[in-house]
Amino acid sequence: MKTLACFALVFVCLLRLPLSATIDDALSFALEAATPYVKAGYTVREDYWGGDLPVKQKKAIVHQLFKGNEYWFWLGTDTEGARISVHIYDSEGKLAEAESWSNKPHMAAARIVPKATGSYYLIVEIHRSPEERTRWALAYGFR
Amino acid sequence: MAFAQNEASGEIVPPQRIDISSLPAKIVDDVVVPVPSEVFGVLDKLGAPNWHSVLRKIENNGFGERPQIALFLGCVIAEGFIAVEAQEPEEVKKIGREVLNLAGAIGVRKSVISRTNSIIEAADKKDWPRIRVELDGAAQDVKQAMIELKDEQLAQLVSLGGWLRGTEAVTDVVGKNYTKDGAELLHQPVLLDYFERQIDGMSPRLKGNRLVKRVRARLADIRPLIEKPNSVTTENLNQINAITRDLVKAISAQDS
Repeated sequence: MKTLACFALVFVCLLRLPLSATIDDALSFALEAATPYVKAGYTVREDYWGGDLPVKQKKAIVHQLFKGNEYWFWLGTDTEGARISVHIYDSEGKLAEAESWSNKPHMAAARIVPKATGSYYLIVEIHRSPEERTRWALAYGFR
Repeated sequence: MAFAQNEASGEIVPPQRIDISSLPAKIVDDVVVPVPSEVFGVLDKLGAPNWHSVLRKIENNGFGERPQIALFLGCVIAEGFIAVEAQEPEEVKKIGREVLNLAGAIGVRKSVISRTNSIIEAADKKDWPRIRVELDGAAQDVKQAMIELKDEQLAQLVSLGGWLRGTEAVTDVVGKNYTKDGAELLHQPVLLDYFERQIDGMSPRLKGNRLVKRVRARLADIRPLIEKPNSVTTENLNQINAITRDLVKAISAQDS
């Protein structure tokens, strides 16, 4: 039932997208990336981050994570041909993710099982893009 | 901080270490405030907390000022998450109706009608995961509606109210059965920084509000109790509980 509810949430979010190109379009790709994980029992938060970045410029997002949970962060962009990534570092700057992927069109993701409760840094980057600025949106889920 | 690419898999290979202190302030974004169930879920894994003893009946005392209503709305939504943990469908329904009333009192009723209906419907079916999702959604919808009404600062108080009630509940549960892992859940300096920054950036009228001023002052009292990893002792826990209990009581009181 939990899975069904979360899947419904993703579906509703997709339905709510406007036709104009906005951060919501990038978010729809992030939520599409989330779909298989929702089926695996992750609860997707309704809150998200978004913006636009030039190529090679990073965005750092500070996030409070709790030991005992497992998190996936899903990054999306609506820019055709853009190459994006998200990676997770602890407060000492050490790579803390358990796994990540960045080789699918429009999407990238990273998973973490925090070893300690505290603040973590999510580093978002646009590696390649045909546009001057590339829209992105980052969603997350936990279980 | 250079990212390489793995030729075979096409994956971006991140550096093993970065210098956090060298990140320019302009590239560091605000934080997302966790929902209470992110913390409650961990407590469930650590043991079987008695959520019934933490759940508090919602009393609407008919508030006047908008900052108090926004803070109280956050507390009520957090209470909804506690009611889900306690698996109390009637209390969840009452909370759903109260969310609608409070949203109406600050002019954003329309934004949560569908969510509160879903909460009530899911409570009838005891569909706890769905209620969690809808409570999170209700909080986001209310905040989004406030932002659209150019009331972003008031929206921040909804998050703060939720954090205060959630923290009170966590200290209550962990205090009754202290474990190091449970207490460590309160190590949240990044959230304290965030809330303090939000209040400090509010309009003079809003941050001069008696209740908001009181919350801001007590946040500073919480800081030394949770700042360092592994620093949340039983004594610290009791102090955080007393502070948050006092604030939630003030937020819920008629004469604040």
